[in-house]
Amino acid sequence: MAAHSMVYLKGMINLKKRSEIIKKFKAEGGQIAAIAPYHYPKALFRAFNILPVELWGPPKLNTLESKSHIQTYICSVVHSILTFHLKGNLSVCDYILIPHTCDSLQGLGSIFLDFIKPEQKAFTLYIPRGRRQVDIDFLSKEIEKIYNELQKATGTTPDKNELNHHIETEEQAVSMVKKLIKNRAYLNTDDYTFYKTIRSKEYLPAEDFIEIAEEFYKTYKIDTPLNKKPVILSGLLPEPMEILNVINEKDGLVAGDDFATTGRRLYPKSEGQNPFVRMAKSIVHSPPDSSRGDSVEARLNHLIHITEKTGAKGVIFFIVKFCEMEYFYLPHLRKGLSEKGIKSIVIDTDINDELSQQTITRIEVFMETLK
Amino acid sequence: MNVLKKLKYALMTNLIGKPYLRIERKKSEKKIAKLFNPDSPLNPPLKITAYTKEFVSSHYFKGRYIEGVKPVAWVTSGAPIEILKALGFFLIYPENHAALCGARKVQMDLIKTAEKEGLSNNVCSYVRTDIGSLLSGRTPAGKLPKPDLLLACSNICQTVLHWYRMLEKHLNIPLVIIDTPFVYNEIEPHQVEYVKKQLLHSLLPVAEKIAKKSLKEKELKKVIKFSKDATELWLEILNLCKEKPSPLTVFDQFVFMAPIVEMRGDRETVDYYNEMYKEVKSKVNTRKGALKRERRRLLWDNLPIWFKMRELAVKMAERGISIPISTYTYAWGELAPLMDLKKDEFEVIAKVYLSPILNRGTGHKLNTMVKMVKEFKLDGVILHSDRSCKPYSMGQMDQRNRLIEEFKIPAMLLEADQNDENAYSEEQIAIRIESFFEMLGVSYG
Ligand code: SF4
Ligand code: SF4
Repeated sequence: MAAHSMVYLKGMINLKKRSEIIKKFKAEGGQIAAIAPYHYPKALFRAFNILPVELWGPPKLNTLESKSHIQTYICSVVHSILTFHLKGNLSVCDYILIPHTCDSLQGLGSIFLDFIKPEQKAFTLYIPRGRRQVDIDFLSKEIEKIYNELQKATGTTPDKNELNHHIETEEQAVSMVKKLIKNRAYLNTDDYTFYKTIRSKEYLPAEDFIEIAEEFYKTYKIDTPLNKKPVILSGLLPEPMEILNVINEKDGLVAGDDFATTGRRLYPKSEGQNPFVRMAKSIVHSPPDSSRGDSVEARLNHLIHITEKTGAKGVIFFIVKFCEMEYFYLPHLRKGLSEKGIKSIVIDTDINDELSQQTITRIEVFMETLK
Repeated sequence: MNVLKKLKYALMTNLIGKPYLRIERKKSEKKIAKLFNPDSPLNPPLKITAYTKEFVSSHYFKGRYIEGVKPVAWVTSGAPIEILKALGFFLIYPENHAALCGARKVQMDLIKTAEKEGLSNNVCSYVRTDIGSLLSGRTPAGKLPKPDLLLACSNICQTVLHWYRMLEKHLNIPLVIIDTPFVYNEIEPHQVEYVKKQLLHSLLPVAEKIAKKSLKEKELKKVIKFSKDATELWLEILNLCKEKPSPLTVFDQFVFMAPIVEMRGDRETVDYYNEMYKEVKSKVNTRKGALKRERRRLLWDNLPIWFKMRELAVKMAERGISIPISTYTYAWGELAPLMDLKKDEFEVIAKVYLSPILNRGTGHKLNTMVKMVKEFKLDGVILHSDRSCKPYSMGQMDQRNRLIEEFKIPAMLLEADQNDENAYSEEQIAIRIESFFEMLGVSYG
């Protein structure tokens, strides 16, 4: 099949702003939950007519306020979330959920509950670090606990059918993300547009996201693959997003990712009738992931699998500075990849900073070395 | 093969190790005596200090010859070791080993080795120290025995889970993870159930298979009893530091706590703390403090700065600053009342190991600090903001503010690291400590 080399089509899909979505959802009688990274049962909130809006920072924030609560050796994601709240930007939200993803989010959750004490109801959710039956049992109880709290807070009691309905809708949305990622090389758009679109799932109701994702697919789908150098990104999130432009400008294409925002949340479909168990199973069986304490082997095999599937010859580890759990795996992952002939590079980032010229040059040089 | 190894073990530990360590003890007794000359602001330490070194060293010495004699496990400091002990495992605590490297000031070379292999300097310095030791084979303990099993428990941090994943990769042996959900408020029944099930279904079968025997309830009860007795004695010793002048400072306690971490569950450890209790009690009876002159009393929060222990102890003592207690050393004693021997052992273990201060919320720690300030009649708090230990350090800024504003307790944040000297700025620390002394009214000026 001939490879496609036409110029990317950019930004043809009209994505509404997060603030507009929130406003509309509230105007229709719904409530909003701000969600910290990154595993959580989205369907549970939707069953209570609550729209979960994820907080991945936001980036490019001046985090002065958080510095009087947390030390500078804590990552920029946590600083941004706290600053965003302290600036009053979460006042539109009715609930805050801080999953136990890492030691830093553990600390943030605890500070929220004990010291910050926001007006909104704040929840925590412990994500177990195993993939055993015992972990599913525990997580389903954690989810049920939040169900009970939401029941108290909203005065509504969604039944099993409603919960299962939302589980299925969320699963459809995940399937759409999987489809877009799988067909990435056949979608004639730049990575910035691609990621803006798939990441809109972080704040859109699943039904809206499915619609947009379908339209996106139809608009950009081409018959022959783009003739670009495939590369894989790994880390927490593609921020600062300019990295995507740097890759594209060097004739590269992000062919797949192992990001917490996307690749690590391509949950498998769940089965069964008990909605709490279904939601727990999906999360417990998520792709290999540092935050779940997975083995080096599992993570390495997963990365190799993505590179083989996409033909990528390079992996960029885009690491939020101070994100300890990511650093641990790097020496082993890089060695394992290199043994398979796959090049890799580590870039430390701060989501609140611009990409430095030095970082841009490093990425450019790296891209040039890929065949 | 095993018979030969057992013979060698007996020979080396009894005929060679014991006399050798006794000689070493004599040497360190002399060394200690020299350090505490008449001009020192510190009174001579407990007699048991030199024995502590011998006691801890004997554990590592046994470790050199233990392979093939007993099954070996490397475990995290907060791991539910009673089950392994009852099955006859010999235990090594990589965190304690890293602390030992820090205290002996050999850690920086090891850290460099780990970083050279690609481990980021943003990873906990205990891990860097220990991985550096594993990669280079260098250790002040002589040699660490190769483990048959790794056991990581998440009740102190998530760091250890990733650390043990790396060890699993290096050593290619089974790893059991006991996941203890973080307790934001109170311990909940489903958390206890979760931990208990993991003990029964994840840890026990693997440990029994490696030990080639089944767990006996009687043995387990015996080990829990030793753990409880040692922990209770430790708590009583620390409570003696409520007296004025305090018979010990945290700098002593940081050294004396090693056996409660790495040898709890042994009869000898109970004997050791019994001896210590008697000596500390007699110091209290004769009103002999750790410092020659105790002017102010402070609380220490977080891990020690291992490579600066002596310097800080002297610096504080010179101004009459005594630090009779820390949240870190007290954390081990606090668990004693939870070890209820009349209840189901697995339920008890689950509750105990869900409860360490590091697995509790930031508000709980603040309350603990306020309570300690009252009970130990303290004048202020030093919060060591430890760059390596995020779970212990997060929350400290709010805790400090609350201590000052709500409870009117002077408090200071000290930015450092337990093992990484690169995160320790001599000048900045001196300035901060000096201004805190001023605030406490004990400056030279
Ligand atoms: S970037 Fe890493 S350390 Fe920061 S919140 Fe996310 S998982 Fe935690
Ligand atoms: S120092 Fe802190 S982060 Fe490091 S292993 Fe100990 S508890 Fe974990």
